[in-house]
Amino acid sequence: MPRPLVVGAVLYDPKVATIWDIMGEFFAQQGCPINVVFYSNYGLQVEALLNKHIDIAWNSPLAWLDAQHRSGGQCRAIAMRDTDRNRVSHLVVKQASDIVTLEHLRGKTLAVGAKDSPQATLIPLGFLQRHGLRPEIDLQVRRFDLLVGKHGDHVGGELEAFRCLERGEADASAMLDLNWDRWAGDGTISPAEYRILASTGSFDHCVFTVREDFPRDLEEEWLKALFSMRYDDPRHREMMDMEGLKQWLPGRTTGFGPLGYAVEQLGFFQGR
Amino acid sequence: MEETRWTLRVRAGSKGPSTIYVRRRQFQAGEPLHFDPEYAHATAVEYLLAAIGADLVGGLQVIARRQSLQMNQVEAVVSGKLNNPLTYLGVVGEEGHPGLEQVAVTVYVSSAESEARIRQAWDEMLKRSPLVNTLKPTVRLDLTVKLVI
Repeated sequence: MPRPLVVGAVLYDPKVATIWDIMGEFFAQQGCPINVVFYSNYGLQVEALLNKHIDIAWNSPLAWLDAQHRSGGQCRAIAMRDTDRNRVSHLVVKQASDIVTLEHLRGKTLAVGAKDSPQATLIPLGFLQRHGLRPEIDLQVRRFDLLVGKHGDHVGGELEAFRCLERGEADASAMLDLNWDRWAGDGTISPAEYRILASTGSFDHCVFTVREDFPRDLEEEWLKALFSMRYDDPRHREMMDMEGLKQWLPGRTTGFGPLGYAVEQLGFFQGR
Repeated sequence: MEETRWTLRVRAGSKGPSTIYVRRRQFQAGEPLHFDPEYAHATAVEYLLAAIGADLVGGLQVIARRQSLQMNQVEAVVSGKLNNPLTYLGVVGEEGHPGLEQVAVTVYVSSAESEARIRQAWDEMLKRSPLVNTLKPTVRLDLTVKLVI
């Protein structure tokens, strides 16, 4: 029997462990067993990956950049969900607001998620910077630092940012497109009362990451098992619904540009 | 006086739940705790919470019988909170422990008796409750009785 590959994942809610239980069973059935190690934050997970305590890390986009930054580019992005590709974040304002262009945000307050949330903080702030609006200089930023270290996986900070807009304590808030869709669907947001002012450029989200020295044959075997998951197979569908995807795709790094720009502009990794 | 002890036997299943043999009865219990709402078995933590609820509800009925109090229905809603459930899953970097930190129980009593008499019986029951007295030193217990007419 082959040595189980060790996969790391950050857990923000114990319910997420259930997904990994099912994933574990799936990989065992494919003859490619895994052991899953949970981490409380991405910093620890990246460290574990680079110290060879784990073989594969289920990384946030910021953790991917962090791993590349710390390893001097010695990591590979090997797989991601279809839903991780081509995401955008929205800047949302009230319908009645007189803010109709980005320039109108000058001197106003933008509510954002946790300081390490790619979708609800970093990418939107990078986007504004690219359009000539410097955070904390040209506009105020109201941040909601919930569960820092989990890179905004926990949508709590993002939701608090919207609540801030709702209370009239901010003029706009930032959120991932998927959350706009979800909250507009479940009644959290009334589309009659709020509108999208602007959307960032598209970016990619989570990605399975390995070190450059991870054996290619093991990677291929593991990916073969992962890519054999089929949404039209009822045995796989529950797991794929829970994880929010219809298909696993090869990893790519072309979608991390907007976050890389934001991280650089905001000096996120500086002073570490 | 001869010491009274209660003894039961618990046998682990090969993959499934454990079986508990108590006197001439038996029942099954799943894992210590589980986060999947569809999990097929009652967990050890749920059994503990159930035991607390049964202690309060059953204990109140016993007192009521002895004091000739009429109680039509007695029902408890029990909830428990762990200090940090992520530590149970072995999440690296999490602090705290997986023990119960707080248990909240609301017991609803449907009765035509006066509230004063029901409260008196409730206080008496709490003094005699084996589980309340066991857990009180270590777990925050928020125990409430509500009279429903």
